[in-house]
Amino acid sequence: MLKARLTPLKRALLLAAFGVLLLFVSNHVDELRSYQGAQAAIYVIAISSIIVLTGFSGQISLGHGAVMAIGGYASALAFTLWNFPWEFALIFGTVVGTIFGCVLGIASARLQGPYLAGTTLALAVGLPSLANQFKVLGGEQGIEFDIGDAPAWLRQVVGGDFTQYKWFFWLTTCVVIVVFWTITNLLQSNVGRTWRAARNHPVAAGLAGINVSRTKILAFTVSSSLASLAGGLFAVILGLVTPAAFPLSLSFLLVTGAVIAGVGNLAGSILGSLVLVSIPELSGTLATHLGNSQKVTANLPGLVASLLLIIVVIFAPNGLRPTAAWKAFRQFNDSTI
Amino acid sequence: MYLFHPHERKTMLEHRRKKRGVMAIVAMLSLASSALTLTTIPAEAASTNAQTGITASTIKLGITVPLTGAAAPGYNKVPYAMRAYFNYVNDNGGVNGRKISLIIKDDAYSPTLAKSVTNDLILKDKVFALVGTLGTANTEATTKFVNDHGVPRLFVNSGFSGFTNTSKYPTTYTLLPSYVMEAKIMGQYIKDNFAGKSVAIIYQDDDFGADALKGFGIAGTSFVAKIPYASGSQADPTVVGKWIAGLAAAKPDVTIMFGVSSATAAALGGSYKAGFKTQWILGSVGGDGTTIASVAGATAVGLLYGSIGASFLPSPTDTADEYVAQFQAINAKYNAGAVFDNNVLVAMNTAMMTVQALRAAGSKLTRTSLMDAIAAKGSTFASAGFAPLGYSSTSHVGYNGYWFGVYGPTGNMKPASGAYTLYTTDSGTGAVVKTATARPAMPAKGLPTN
Amino acid sequence: MIFNTLLIGASSGAIYSLMALALVLVWRSTRVVNFAQAGQAALSTYIGYEIMGRTHNYWLSVPVAICFGALLAAGVDVLLMRVLARRAQQGPIAEIAPVITTLGLLGLIHSLIGLIWGNAFVQYTSPLSGKGFTIGAQVIPFSPQNLLIVLAAIGVMATFAAIFTFTDLGLSLRAASFQPEIARLAGIRVDRVRTIGWAFAGATGAVAGVVITPTAYLSPNSLDLLLVSGFVAAVIGGLESLIGAVVGGLVLGIGFAFILQYIGSSVTFLAGFIILMVVQLVRPHGFFGHKTSRHA
Repeated sequence: MLKARLTPLKRALLLAAFGVLLLFVSNHVDELRSYQGAQAAIYVIAISSIIVLTGFSGQISLGHGAVMAIGGYASALAFTLWNFPWEFALIFGTVVGTIFGCVLGIASARLQGPYLAGTTLALAVGLPSLANQFKVLGGEQGIEFDIGDAPAWLRQVVGGDFTQYKWFFWLTTCVVIVVFWTITNLLQSNVGRTWRAARNHPVAAGLAGINVSRTKILAFTVSSSLASLAGGLFAVILGLVTPAAFPLSLSFLLVTGAVIAGVGNLAGSILGSLVLVSIPELSGTLATHLGNSQKVTANLPGLVASLLLIIVVIFAPNGLRPTAAWKAFRQFNDSTI
Repeated sequence: MYLFHPHERKTMLEHRRKKRGVMAIVAMLSLASSALTLTTIPAEAASTNAQTGITASTIKLGITVPLTGAAAPGYNKVPYAMRAYFNYVNDNGGVNGRKISLIIKDDAYSPTLAKSVTNDLILKDKVFALVGTLGTANTEATTKFVNDHGVPRLFVNSGFSGFTNTSKYPTTYTLLPSYVMEAKIMGQYIKDNFAGKSVAIIYQDDDFGADALKGFGIAGTSFVAKIPYASGSQADPTVVGKWIAGLAAAKPDVTIMFGVSSATAAALGGSYKAGFKTQWILGSVGGDGTTIASVAGATAVGLLYGSIGASFLPSPTDTADEYVAQFQAINAKYNAGAVFDNNVLVAMNTAMMTVQALRAAGSKLTRTSLMDAIAAKGSTFASAGFAPLGYSSTSHVGYNGYWFGVYGPTGNMKPASGAYTLYTTDSGTGAVVKTATARPAMPAKGLPTN
Repeated sequence: MIFNTLLIGASSGAIYSLMALALVLVWRSTRVVNFAQAGQAALSTYIGYEIMGRTHNYWLSVPVAICFGALLAAGVDVLLMRVLARRAQQGPIAEIAPVITTLGLLGLIHSLIGLIWGNAFVQYTSPLSGKGFTIGAQVIPFSPQNLLIVLAAIGVMATFAAIFTFTDLGLSLRAASFQPEIARLAGIRVDRVRTIGWAFAGATGAVAGVVITPTAYLSPNSLDLLLVSGFVAAVIGGLESLIGAVVGGLVLGIGFAFILQYIGSSVTFLAGFIILMVVQLVRPHGFFGHKTSRHA
C-alpha cells in the first residue's frame, strides 16, 4: 500500500506500535476474542501466502490447505514424536513446507490457469489422506500438538490470568508482525517488482532479462513458506493435527479471503481475515435468532455465509478497500515496472 | 504559468498520497482496536466459576454434534431427541425447580469447527456442562480447554479407550463400553458359539480399529483375513469391491465388521453384489438399521437379515420394554415426528442419565458437586441399558457389557436366545463374564426422582 | 483379477467422465470453471428424487431433472455470471473471482437443499439392478446401472460433439468463447449463446446426478468429491475437448482402480495428482487440448 513510501525502519516501528496496541487490547478482552484473534492472525499469514502467489505472481493455487497441512504435520511430528522444543518445531515445519513448495513450484512452473488450479486441487484432496497410509502420521485420530501455557517469565511480567488462548494470541500476533514486515519489504524490493513485471507483461519481462520461470518458482516457494508457517500455528491453536482439520474447504477459504482482501494488496489480508473469522460468528448468531429447528440451525449459517461471499465478490471483485487508498495504490502499481 | 513547479507539484501529490495512506492505516488500526474492545465480553472469571450456566430457574447444557456433512446421518437426530426428553422433564417440574436448556451446535465432524463451537458454548453461551459430544478427534481437540476450565463433559459418545484415563481426562465421562471391551466380548461370544470356525475381520485403519484388534488379541481370536480400510474410503465402491475380493479368497465362516454404519452398509451391499456369503457379526457403532437404510437403501436393511449384532440397550422396536415404551411416548409428543430408532433411544437414555446426575448433585448445584455425585451415585442411575454403569471415584466408564442379537428382515435386532444375556468385562485384561441382566426399574413415567 | 479391475475402473471412469463433460461444456462456453456444478447437479437430482417420490417412475423423473438442470444453469449464468463478467477486471482476479463466486454458489445450494430436504441421506432408487451381471458362474463387478452410466457418458459426449461440429449453434458457441468481440461483429448474440452453453452443462450435470446417485445415496454433499475427480479428469483430457473429458475420465478411473488394487485406498487421490503431473509434463494442455496462441 502506501507503505511503499515508508522505509523499512519506519515500517518496523509502525508495525511494532500496532503490535503493542493489540497486545494491550488483548488484556481487556476475554478468551473467546483472544482465540478468534489468534485465528485471524493465522488467516492473515495464510491469505498473504495466496496474495504473494496469485496477486503478485499470477499463479492460482486451490491447494494451499495441503501446504498448511505439511507445515502442521511436520511441526507436530517434530514436537510430539521427536521432542523438539515447540519454537524449533514450528521452524522445522516451515522449512519442510518451503522445500515442498519449491519442488511443487518447479513441477508447476509450466502450468497455466485452470490446469494449475486442477493440479493443486488434486493435491488438496490427496495429501491429507496420506495420514491414513503411514501409521506414524496418526490416521484419523491424528497427532497431538500441545505446546502448553505461556512461559513462566512472561506470565509473571504480564500478570493477571494468562490463559492459553491469550498466549496463542500473543504468539500469533508477534509472528504476524514479523512476517508482515518481511513480506512487505520483499514485495517492495526488486523481487516484488520482478514478480509484478512477470505477471503483467511476461514477454517484455523476458526480453528485459527476467527469468520468468525462476521468479514464478521463487514466488511459489515464498508462498509455501508462509502457508506452512500458518499451518504450524494452526496446529498449535487447534492442539492437534488430523486430516479432518485440513479439508478442501480450507483451501477454498484461503482463496476466498484473498479475493475479499483484494488479491494484489497485502494489507487487505488483515481485512480479509477479519471477514473470514466474523462470517461464521454473524451467521451463527443470525441463525439462532431466526429459529431453532433442526434444518435452520444446520443450514442457515452456511446460507448466510455463501450469500455474503457472493455479494462481496460481485460488488467488490477487486477486494474491499477504502477507495482513496485503492486509487492511490493502483496509480503506484501501474507506474512501476 | 503553473502555481507550483512540476517537481514540487509531484512531491506535493506524493505527500498528499502519503498522508492519505497514513490516515488510512490509522483509521484501520483504530477501527480494529475499537472493534475488539467494544465487543469485549466482560472478562469475569465466569468460565471458571463453578456455578456458570446455572440460574435460579435454568440449567444450560451444550452439545456439539455433526448436523451436516458425511457423518451427520443418524447422529443429527441425537441432540433433538435429548432436547425432547429435557422438555418433558421441564414440563414436569424440571430438576429441583430448574428447567434444562440444551444449546445445540453443529461441528460438521471437523475438529477445527468443534473447537470453535465448543469455545462458543463455554465462553459465550456459558453452559454449565457439555453432554453427549461426538467424535474422538473432536473431543481430543477440546480436551485441554475443557480441563483447564473444569467443565464437566458427560456421557461422551465415543468408545475410544484413552478416555478412561481419569488423570488425563478428569472431567470427562464416557457412556459406551470402550472398543477394546467390545472386541473382547465379541471374541468371547465367538468362542462360545462359533468354536472351530474361521473368522475374518474388516476394521477401520486407525485407533478405532487398533482398539478392536487389541481386544480381540486379549480374547485370543485368530483371523484368516484382516482387512483394514481408511476411514472415509468406504464411499468408494472399488475399495469395497477389494474388501469382498479379499474375503472371498479367505472364505471365512464368520466375518466381523468393525466399522461405522456407512462402512457396514457398503460391506453388506458389496457382498450381495458379488454373491459372497458369510455369517456377519456387526460392531455396535455401525449396526443401526435406520442409519444403514438411509445410507444404502432399504435393500441394504434386508441384507442385515441373519446378521448378528451387539447392543447394550433394548431393541428400539421392543415395545414390551418399559423404557422403550416410555421413550416412544415422549418422542411422539415432544420430538416432532422423528422416527424412533437407536439414535433416539441412545439420546433419550443419555438425557435421562443427565437428569439423574443433576438431581443427585443436590440443591447446591455446582460443577464439582455434579462430578462428585456421579462418582458417588452414578452406578445406581436408572437407565435403559442392560449393562451396569461403572462410575465410581476411580472410574469414569459407563456401560461395560453387551448382549448379542440377530437382525430380522426389517433391520430390528432381537436377542438370539429370546432373553437378553449380557456379557460384561473390564477395560483391562480381565475375563469376560456372562451375567443375567438386572436392570434398575424405570422411575414412574420416566421421570427420575433420585 | 486384471479384467475385474479394468471393469471397475471403466465404470467409475464413466462417472468421472460425465462430470468432466459438464465442466468442459461450461469452460468452452465461458472460460470459467464452474465449481457449483456439483451443487447444481445435486439440486437437479433432488428434483428428480421428488418426482420419483410422487410418481414412482424413474424414467419420468430423469427428463424432468435434466430440464431443471438446464434451466437452473441458464438462470445462474444470466443472474450471476453475466453480472460478474461485467465487473471483474483483467489479470489474476479475472480468473479467480468467478471461481470464488461459483464456490459461494455451491455453498448456497448446499444450504438450500438442507433447508428444503434436510441433511439426511436419502435413496433415489432406479429400476435397474445394482447387482453385477452374471457371466457363467461369475458375478462381474459391472451392473445394469453401470451400463446406463457408460451409455449416458457416451451419449452426452456424442450429442454435444455433434452439436459443436455440425450445427450453426455449435459454431456460434465456439466462436463466442474464443473471440467474443469478433463473434459479436459477425452478428452472434454472444451472451445468449453463452447461456445456452451453460444450459448444456447444467443438463449434463443433471444426467450425471440421476444416473450415478442410485448406486450410492443422495445428500447435499454427495456429488462434491465427484467434482474434484471430474475436474482432474477434464484437465487430463484437456479442458477444450469433449472426447478428452471421456478419455480423461477413463484414464483416471482405471488408474484409481489399479492403484487401489495394488497399493491401497489412502493414496488414490495423491495418485490422481501424480497422474495429472505426469500428463502435463508430457502434454501441458492435456491429451486433447489445443495450445492457446500467445497474445501480444
